[in-house]
Amino acid sequence: MGVIIGPRVIDAGSSLLSVLISPVPVAAGYPSPAQDYFDGRIDLNEHLIKDITSTYVVRVSGESMEGAGISDGDELIVNRALEPKDGSVVVAVLDGELTIKRLRITGAGVVLQADNPAYPDIRVPSLSDLVIWGVATRCLHHV
Amino acid sequence: MSKPALMRHMPQIAHVDVNCFYASAERAFNPSLEGRPVVVLSNNDGCAVTRSPEAKALGIPMGEPWFKLAPRAKEWGLVARSSNYELYGDISARVMELLGRYSAWLEVYSIDEAFLGVKGTPEELLALGRTIKTTVRRNVGVPVCVGIAGTKTLAKLANKWAKNNPAFGGVCHWDSVPATDREALMRRLPVIEIWGVATRLTKRLNVLGIRSILDLQGADPVMIRDRFSVVMMRTVLELQGTACIPMEEERIGRDQLIFSRSFATPITTAAGMQQVLSVYGQQASARLAKHGLQAKVLTAFAATSHYNPKDTSYPSVCVALPMPTADPVLLTRAAHALLPHIHEGIRYAKAGIMVTDLRPTSNQAPLATFENQHEERRIGTLLEDVTRRYGRGSIGLGHAGIKTGLDWTMKRDMLSPRYTTHWDELPLVKAA
Repeated sequence: MGVIIGPRVIDAGSSLLSVLISPVPVAAGYPSPAQDYFDGRIDLNEHLIKDITSTYVVRVSGESMEGAGISDGDELIVNRALEPKDGSVVVAVLDGELTIKRLRITGAGVVLQADNPAYPDIRVPSLSDLVIWGVATRCLHHV
Repeated sequence: MSKPALMRHMPQIAHVDVNCFYASAERAFNPSLEGRPVVVLSNNDGCAVTRSPEAKALGIPMGEPWFKLAPRAKEWGLVARSSNYELYGDISARVMELLGRYSAWLEVYSIDEAFLGVKGTPEELLALGRTIKTTVRRNVGVPVCVGIAGTKTLAKLANKWAKNNPAFGGVCHWDSVPATDREALMRRLPVIEIWGVATRLTKRLNVLGIRSILDLQGADPVMIRDRFSVVMMRTVLELQGTACIPMEEERIGRDQLIFSRSFATPITTAAGMQQVLSVYGQQASARLAKHGLQAKVLTAFAATSHYNPKDTSYPSVCVALPMPTADPVLLTRAAHALLPHIHEGIRYAKAGIMVTDLRPTSNQAPLATFENQHEERRIGTLLEDVTRRYGRGSIGLGHAGIKTGLDWTMKRDMLSPRYTTHWDELPLVKAA
């Protein structure tokens, strides 16, 4: 009977998210030979979070990053330890608010872009004029 | 020739602590608080227990009741926050785990400070201190200062100096500062400023002509032991450069209890660690009960030995308890959240738990006992499952009933979201 499929989110401990997924549907009284090779469930922490001390999960509010596949209400995995590069999707501090933008570093200066033509670019002379809060590594998009 | 070479590699101690920890944890997720006066209030929004430098500059004293501050908050631009212990506990666990990567010898001293064993030339030690400062700030998001010296007492003093004198840039290596400057500092600072000297003892020290830290450093350790205690003698020896303060196994802070211990024989299995954590859970329970307190947040941690620089592991987890409690079963179960992070075969030399978010036992305390009795019939588990699925307050026991819960008695009007421990309270980032 029952198919044991997550997700189950545990809010305790350092686990930002623990999702337990059994690799195969389990039929009662019908042991699957494949299960002999099952040595641990997929741990999304292991695959999505490189450094637990510097990784935070944030939630997106707004549509300016639709072009990057990041929608209103999606969750982002953000690693503060990463060096922001040209093309990185970053969380930047703008007017005291955490704001998500695409970072462009060119010879002419630094630009924070929205991936949506409806929103204007923000230009600054150099990276040191910006406070980058973290670099987004994954988007948990609601499909 | 061998002596100076040896001296260079004498182990030293780095003391790392987070600047105005609670206020800094709030700022990490709310940059608009940067540069503004911020106070974090004690339980029930009673009084200011953490003040940002801007709040101190306004002349707000430590422990000032909020009702006195509130009328002027708007005029000052003062922001107040209720204590968000789940957030602080998680940030603390991240800082400690990160610090563990810089030393094979880490002693978590309180929620926001730790001692690390370090080695190297003065230049290397300064560079290490700066790396720690920069990395904690960037990776976790909170500012720290670092003091490095030959003893814990001097490392703490160096840290205080680094915090108060901007010239240090947040990192002070005691031995690298000219001796005349160190003496001038110790002559200027009253003896109460040194770690380990209780307020009630300063009068007795003053009678003996010991007023400044320098006076205490020059005192005869044996005389101090005879007139005061071994503890005070250790402080004198530490000021003179002899490291002799061992790790305390039980510490009581302003708003936290810590239980930790080094093991005679390393623990190498999760089963062994489970037993140790159970003992701490029971100790914490007994100590809380003795003080008439309950805890809402528990942090559990473990550490490998500094004798074995290979296979290091510094796991640390922060657990929000289902309700304020001093119940040994609940505390022990929470401490066991560390177990999945224990690697079999790794030699753990130390472990501990810390309970925070303490509040007086409410007059509904019998509830905990009551629930405990039902534990055996798995009612506790049932309650948790229902609460997890339908939210707090959807089910309760006996007179606690529905829509009550001990948390209700706690006033926390200015609580920020639990950004890092609750899926529905994640920080929002603006896409606009």
